[in-house]
Amino acid sequence: MDSSLALRARDVRMEYIDQATAERLLAIERVDLDIAEGQFASIVGPSGCGKSTFLKIVNGLFPASEGTIEVRPAARGVAHAMVFQDSSLFPWYTILDNVAYGLVCQGVPRKEAQARAKPYIDLVSLTGFERKFPYQLSGGMQQRANLARALTVDPEILLMDEPFAALDAQTRELMQAELLRIWSEANKTVLFITHQIDEAIYLSDRVLVMSARPGRILADIPIDLSRPRQLQIKRSPEFIAYADQIWALISPQLRPESPVGAAG
Amino acid sequence: MTAQTRSTPQTRSLVHRGHPGRRGHKLPRRGERLLYGLIGFAVVLPLWEIVVQAGLIKRVTLSSPSLIATAAVNDLVINGTLWPHLFASSQQFVLGLGLALLTGVPLGLAIGLFRRLNYFLDPWLSAIYATPTIALVPLIVLVLGLGLESKIFIVWLEAIFVVVVSTMAGVRAAEARYLDLAKSFRASRWFTFRSVIIPSSFPFILTALRLGTTRGLVGVVVAEFFAANKGIGFYINFSGTTLRTDRVMLGVILLGLFGVAMGEGVRRLERRFEKWRPDIN
Repeated sequence: MDSSLALRARDVRMEYIDQATAERLLAIERVDLDIAEGQFASIVGPSGCGKSTFLKIVNGLFPASEGTIEVRPAARGVAHAMVFQDSSLFPWYTILDNVAYGLVCQGVPRKEAQARAKPYIDLVSLTGFERKFPYQLSGGMQQRANLARALTVDPEILLMDEPFAALDAQTRELMQAELLRIWSEANKTVLFITHQIDEAIYLSDRVLVMSARPGRILADIPIDLSRPRQLQIKRSPEFIAYADQIWALISPQLRPESPVGAAG
Repeated sequence: MTAQTRSTPQTRSLVHRGHPGRRGHKLPRRGERLLYGLIGFAVVLPLWEIVVQAGLIKRVTLSSPSLIATAAVNDLVINGTLWPHLFASSQQFVLGLGLALLTGVPLGLAIGLFRRLNYFLDPWLSAIYATPTIALVPLIVLVLGLGLESKIFIVWLEAIFVVVVSTMAGVRAAEARYLDLAKSFRASRWFTFRSVIIPSSFPFILTALRLGTTRGLVGVVVAEFFAANKGIGFYINFSGTTLRTDRVMLGVILLGLFGVAMGEGVRRLERRFEKWRPDIN
């Protein structure tokens, strides 16, 4: 694998048997993808297109039916870490212990893990909330902790599975801007999954458009917008042109009765 | 969703306690529950006394509040004959229930984790649950004798099933998203067990304790009715055969109070841990 690549996927295919109907379902097929080091790449696609499945395969939660995924071996930390859609913070741990969790999983003693987690708590602006429990935090703050937990293990690639989907619209906008700030400071490769077109464009260097199931990569669109990006950029003509281009690719993929008809 | 609306299926009564809104528009006034509870006593106790004093019901049949109070003062304060019985019962209860928790919680965790162990043990546990313990008393006495061992065993036998089953349900309640998270961070099996499964099942282990308490108390009485010369169950049984209804009533009331106190104690413990209880929907 090319040393400037953080992730290389070739011909990935995922088939599974639906527990309810006992039908064979082809979730994704022929997914080829290269992500360069330090790049922010997003995959957008209609709901149920298999984009989350792909991310979970990269994360090693389950194996692909076919194909290869290579992740560049980590120089210091781990190869990859996941930011989950619902924050999945353990309600029985404090924020500090939640953020330190990944390190403790690696066998780092708890005190040391906490000390190493602290800078990431500061990075995501949760300073002062270390001793709180997740239920004491708002949804946006829980997602910050979720992000800090993934960053603490120092992954080569940060995998983000629709992390802002459950937030209200205003918090989501703020979190997008925050994520860009954190990304520029933490210097990570990011693979971001979303069904929101504007979120993908605003955040990414590249937007990959996925088809409806079985998911395939339909298009690979470089986003040539200067950084740092302000939220106002979403109203610029260039931004809107990108959004139109992507929407034109996605809308034929949506079945008429699809509940995500208004996506974007 | 607020913390107050979280609850295990077994503790549904906690859900709306002190929680404003949602159901009903009028908030209960403070102390209303206590007030109406006391009114109940204020009505029933004098009525009972009057009915017995007036000779409508024989003393030996129903005793009366004043007779029971007198018996309490005699047996608990003046001659203190009840204390050895209470001590014996407490000992059996604590040892039997303690043993049920020490064996039942690990067993429940293991059964929850290993499907095949569940299949293997399920018929035995179901049999224990389905068989009235009382039917086994002669056998238990035959094997273990009339000493403390047989009493402890009977309490254990009464309590073990609910402890195992509640704990097992707790393991099953561990949410997939938390297990995925542990897997995503490459947690070892042992650490996943410690960081996800044990905390997830903790509320259920408290439920196990609460249910085990009730069942264990039944076990104490069963053991003492049929195979003892001391203990509160013996006291009740003996008083009954000697027509001392006041003492029977006193023993029953003490048992009831003990049961209520234990239940309340566990409920307090549950409430302390409610804050971080996982959502179970």
